[in-house]
Amino acid sequence: MADFDCDICIVGSGAGAGPIIYELSRAGYKVVVLEKGPWLKTADFTKDEMTATRRDAYTPNLEEERHIVVKKSSSGNWTEKNTADGGSDLWNGSCVGGSSNFMSAYFHRMKPNDFQLYSKYGPIDGANIVDWPIKYDDLEPYYAKVEKVIGVSGKVVDHKHQEPRSTPDYPHPPLTTNIVADWFVEGGKKEGWNIVPAARGIISEPKDDRRACYHSNYCGSYGCSSDAKASSRAALINKALETGNCDIRPLSKVYHIATNGQNEIVKAHYYDADDNKQSVTAKIFVVACQAVETSRLLLMSKNEEFPNGLANNSGQVGKNLLFAGGGAGSGYIRFDSLSEEDRKKFDVPLTFVNQALIDFYEIDDPEFGGKAKGGTIDFLIEHSNPMPKVFRSKYKNGTLLYGSDLKENLQDYFTKQKRVRYEVFCDWLPNDDCNVSLDENVTDKWGDPVGKVKLGYHEQNLKVGNFLANKGMTVLKNIGAIKVTKSITGNPPTNLMAGGCRFGDDPKNSVLNANCQAHEVNNLYVTDGSFMPTGGSVPYTFTIYANAFRVADHLIERLGKEA
Amino acid sequence: MKSKTVKKSIPNRYLDLEQWQTDRRKFLRGALLAGAMTQIGLFPSCSTKLKEGNDLLTAEQATILNDVLNIFFPNDGNGPDAEDINAFGYVMWVLHDTLNRKIEDNAYILVGLNWADETAQEIYFSPFVELSQEQKEALVGKFTELDWGKNWSSMIITLILEALVLDPIYGGNKNEAGWNWLNHTPGFPRPTEENRYERIMEKQMKLVK
Repeated sequence: MADFDCDICIVGSGAGAGPIIYELSRAGYKVVVLEKGPWLKTADFTKDEMTATRRDAYTPNLEEERHIVVKKSSSGNWTEKNTADGGSDLWNGSCVGGSSNFMSAYFHRMKPNDFQLYSKYGPIDGANIVDWPIKYDDLEPYYAKVEKVIGVSGKVVDHKHQEPRSTPDYPHPPLTTNIVADWFVEGGKKEGWNIVPAARGIISEPKDDRRACYHSNYCGSYGCSSDAKASSRAALINKALETGNCDIRPLSKVYHIATNGQNEIVKAHYYDADDNKQSVTAKIFVVACQAVETSRLLLMSKNEEFPNGLANNSGQVGKNLLFAGGGAGSGYIRFDSLSEEDRKKFDVPLTFVNQALIDFYEIDDPEFGGKAKGGTIDFLIEHSNPMPKVFRSKYKNGTLLYGSDLKENLQDYFTKQKRVRYEVFCDWLPNDDCNVSLDENVTDKWGDPVGKVKLGYHEQNLKVGNFLANKGMTVLKNIGAIKVTKSITGNPPTNLMAGGCRFGDDPKNSVLNANCQAHEVNNLYVTDGSFMPTGGSVPYTFTIYANAFRVADHLIERLGKEA
Repeated sequence: MKSKTVKKSIPNRYLDLEQWQTDRRKFLRGALLAGAMTQIGLFPSCSTKLKEGNDLLTAEQATILNDVLNIFFPNDGNGPDAEDINAFGYVMWVLHDTLNRKIEDNAYILVGLNWADETAQEIYFSPFVELSQEQKEALVGKFTELDWGKNWSSMIITLILEALVLDPIYGGNKNEAGWNWLNHTPGFPRPTEENRYERIMEKQMKLVK
């Protein structure tokens, strides 16, 4: 240890970092965590829309830390946009625990076929589909570990794409749901579809120092005030701190990772809270700052040994960036269409639904020429936070309302109905037009090049998304919803990102090996969603957690051997 | 009692562009002759009771803002009005919010108030604050259709909606009037002085380490 500041230095503290921090600290190794954001504690998190969404106080100032987004316009030309100029950005939570503090925590496992997408479904023109270098069975024990260690609630109900499990059920019972959950199940039955409970990374009963979910109804985009949500911070980092082996350094922005000319990292350089340059030495370095920023940091870390960026002599860093394919849709259940009894049960401040339709995870339809990869449909009620609702009330038939018309529209939206929703998750097919590079002109406040993110999508995303959305619409109509819509576009949900440093067996077309160790750098690991060559048709966080626990076992074994 | 929004119209002569230009030229010529061109808007009528000015708004701007808020969110017998939710006070909090990263929006609010006054001068040859209530309503309604006015009106209405449903700690939603009217149950815990938005933003901006 005398030669190093710590055994392992981790850049980032979100879902890809938490399991490494937790496991390595508990195994007795000295861990230093460099997190660019502040250390917000549970007491800092409230259900304040001003903080969370109106002023975006959980993310960096776009004037200081922006991205350049490259998208294809309706005329077919690629156009660049600076995220500081408005619209959506690519930050999802800059603080200790990262975006896991603000996730909705839908915890679906990937299915066995997701690990062998190429072998099972074959190639698709224009898509860089490959099999994973590991199989579902390799990750299954770690899905089980996540369920137990961080706490997952739910109920296993068999369906035709139920993945094999080493445990019969989730460790925590399902969260309480709104009556509409039962209606969704019945709505599926009318079509012969099996709508089943969806697991959540939210505990329904106390666990260690964490309290059970108390149903604030402000969940996604909000930090959890009872620590029921299994953020990396609440579920893992707080436990790691108890060991005395974990040193969290907030407001520490890593800008360069230096190597020694022999394929080994010697230092991570960072700006501290006062923007002074600092550095950390370690035996092993783990980068986990979410897909875009992870690729950017490696690309920024150029030297003679790696003139194209760290671990990028293959030219693969930043390639095959993934988002979640699919989209969403909604409809309205008017209270006057319900019996008084049903209305009383439905019109309560309880927004959890936690039901999903997974029957179409594989599509067998002539439209797709036989079997094709499908996806997941989650059913929801509109979140409780009122600003999105008032925005929906602001216009009618495209006309800006004011005066009594506005007030009537607001009152109707809030008191005469509820908006029910579905979200579709299908594979975002990896392709040559979705990637991260460094912008040549624009820099951040420290003078470092910002990430340039090209957001090309594959048409198959839309085809599958629309197929699934039609099923979601049918269910909504079956439960009496009106004005049922769908929105399936090529616009990525920027809170669900992966890829860019895909793992694989061939160093020529992957950045990491099966252990998420860089092919080209002996002591570099990447454990956020960057490792994924394909992402499955589910939100990524559960799989990121499981994989990071898997890599943590490897690291403990490696450090043990090297001791 | 509920009443529908009655869309007041601006005078017909302004729907006829040529006629409007003629009237406007006449007005400007008259104003020039009176030597008053540079003073338009600077001397409100003694008969008009102006809202108190403050460190950011002149009395005229404050009065225009207050009038616009009350027209966009009126006392019509259906729920709270702009006064009940303290929309004016909320906008003042917004204008004083130096941590807001979209600070240019605040300048836009002020520019719009000046535009509102200029438009009143152009159409009615009178400062906004001296218009009758009917004229003000007609003019503010027109803002939502004019090129410059559409975005500004949308922004002001967004501010009203924020004052309606955001936490009262920021000055709007007085006595939770908005939440009560809309049967809205807020999320708990609600922000306190220790963890309201400014305190979190200071941590994000490294003003507090």
